[in-house]
Amino acid sequence: MTDIGPDPQYSPPHLPAADAAALAARYGLTQAGVRPGLGAYLRDLWGYRHLMWAMAKGEFVAENQDNHLGWLWSILNPILLGISYYLIFGVLIGTRGGIDNFVSFLTIGLFVFIPISLALASGTKVLLSKLKMIRSLTFPRVILPLTVTLAHFVSAGPAFVVLVIIALVSGEPVTLEWLLFPVALLVVLVMCLGFALIGSRIVHTVRDAANLMPLITRLLRYVSGVFFSIEASIERFDNPPEWVGHILEYQPVAVALTLVREPMMAEYPVRWETWAIALAWSFGLFIVGFIFFWRGEGTYGRA
Amino acid sequence: MAERELDPVAATAVDERVPSVVASHVSITYRVFSPGRAEETFDTDDETSAIRRLVRRGSQGVGVREVEAVKDVSFVAYRGESIGVLGSNGSGKSTLLRTIAGLVPPTSGQLWINGRAALLGVNAVLMARLSGRRNIWIGALAMGLTPEEIREKFDDIVAFADIGDFIDLPMSSYSSGMAARLRFAISTCVVPDILVVDEALSTGDAQFRERANERITQIREQAGTVFLVSHNPGAIASMCDRALWIDRGRLLADGKPYPVAGLYTRKYGQHRHIWRERYAEVHRVIEEQGLEAARDLLRRYEPEGGW
Repeated sequence: MTDIGPDPQYSPPHLPAADAAALAARYGLTQAGVRPGLGAYLRDLWGYRHLMWAMAKGEFVAENQDNHLGWLWSILNPILLGISYYLIFGVLIGTRGGIDNFVSFLTIGLFVFIPISLALASGTKVLLSKLKMIRSLTFPRVILPLTVTLAHFVSAGPAFVVLVIIALVSGEPVTLEWLLFPVALLVVLVMCLGFALIGSRIVHTVRDAANLMPLITRLLRYVSGVFFSIEASIERFDNPPEWVGHILEYQPVAVALTLVREPMMAEYPVRWETWAIALAWSFGLFIVGFIFFWRGEGTYGRA
Repeated sequence: MAERELDPVAATAVDERVPSVVASHVSITYRVFSPGRAEETFDTDDETSAIRRLVRRGSQGVGVREVEAVKDVSFVAYRGESIGVLGSNGSGKSTLLRTIAGLVPPTSGQLWINGRAALLGVNAVLMARLSGRRNIWIGALAMGLTPEEIREKFDDIVAFADIGDFIDLPMSSYSSGMAARLRFAISTCVVPDILVVDEALSTGDAQFRERANERITQIREQAGTVFLVSHNPGAIASMCDRALWIDRGRLLADGKPYPVAGLYTRKYGQHRHIWRERYAEVHRVIEEQGLEAARDLLRRYEPEGGW
């Protein structure tokens, strides 16, 4: 009777924690907000594959519908960007040292780097930008970084076709190695999925990391040989230690660009080292990223 | 704070009702990134506090605040129940229901659910830049339907949402009522085991509300559990057979809708000041004349209160 009034303070009676657990177990209830086992998580993900595809398509549509030319922009944009980069770096600054077919070199570097940078920029922020969706639908959250990255590659599809046309026009001989071009792009996609998986959990936990992403992408744009040959620019320094060159050439993004260039450009023969290192990076990053992201499942959506 | 615990034997001896949600000491804390300060009161003429103020001013725009949206809430919901959740704005009821729907993981405590939960909410849009058609696909796929099942149900969903030609326009062009109808149609295209309705019925016209109520009744009949959030005690009392009152994140009452709604209106309702006076009177009577006299007084105020 002492606890009456307009502002009661007591809690209604409740089960002790152990009995609640026993009750839940007896009727086979599943605990919410906990991380499932890795196997169950993968099965769950497979069950949601249609959703993943629908969302990736949706992202692509949403990105390209707000203007008159629609998806044509996904071709026009990279071409215009390619022309301006060619004018800046090919003509004005002159970074074409040691490259015969600079147009192909530049456009491949640029068009492949764009989805990579988007994976780093928006892929890593996806748990924050899609918070509304996380808070209204249940699905394995790993779908989000995967689909956003996938969508960027779908958007880049027309640009990749343009790359083939540019290579043809600029006089690259058509060889059987061209068949490796789409395979190389897939390897790059897997690498980007890895970036997005690792980055999105980091950004979700430490939001401030998102502010470093533009810096990191910009840095990568300038050191990864998008518009100059790393090999040629290292030669300009006298006697740098060998490992400097190796790091610059074989860091994931640089090796990804080389991987796509080799099948398309006659002056860069396909080398097994490139493939071995690129495959190691991409699958390594993806597997580590997937497990890293999965370990955080059950915490996403609260921040 | 008097905490009472149910006798576990008595609790399990209740007839074989199947629990659908078991919440045990669930707390949910949000991280809010805010330049604001936790406490606003500080002495003005104290020298140390002047320094502190300076530091505070310097760190404005920096910092994280933790907001306890739900504090130590425990309850068991059973199949076939429809439970109203009462609470004023910002009391944590929506957060709690999002946790029940498996969307916001609890910070501490445990929560078990039986089967699949679906959330209906006015503010829960899917992808606003996409057409209703694509949103139906995404929403239905996320609810675990296969593409074949969606193709089968697609026309039903569109018919129930009754949005006509807007189906191919982006959802950002919908009125709030249309978006709410579409959300409702998607979330109820399969009968979820637990349906969480977050004030979805307050929007939409009268006819739609009627159809929505009909569908909720159907879902209840198919042995699901329905949670209905509202700050309208009347709606809860008429539609639910149990009510929870959440106030500032804490569960304060759990029981029949009528008395629980009564408690809520006593604190927040139109006549709250009358009740405040009455309680002051009751406390005075307790002190002066003892408990029995106070009980008589309460019975006079509210004959059905069970005093």
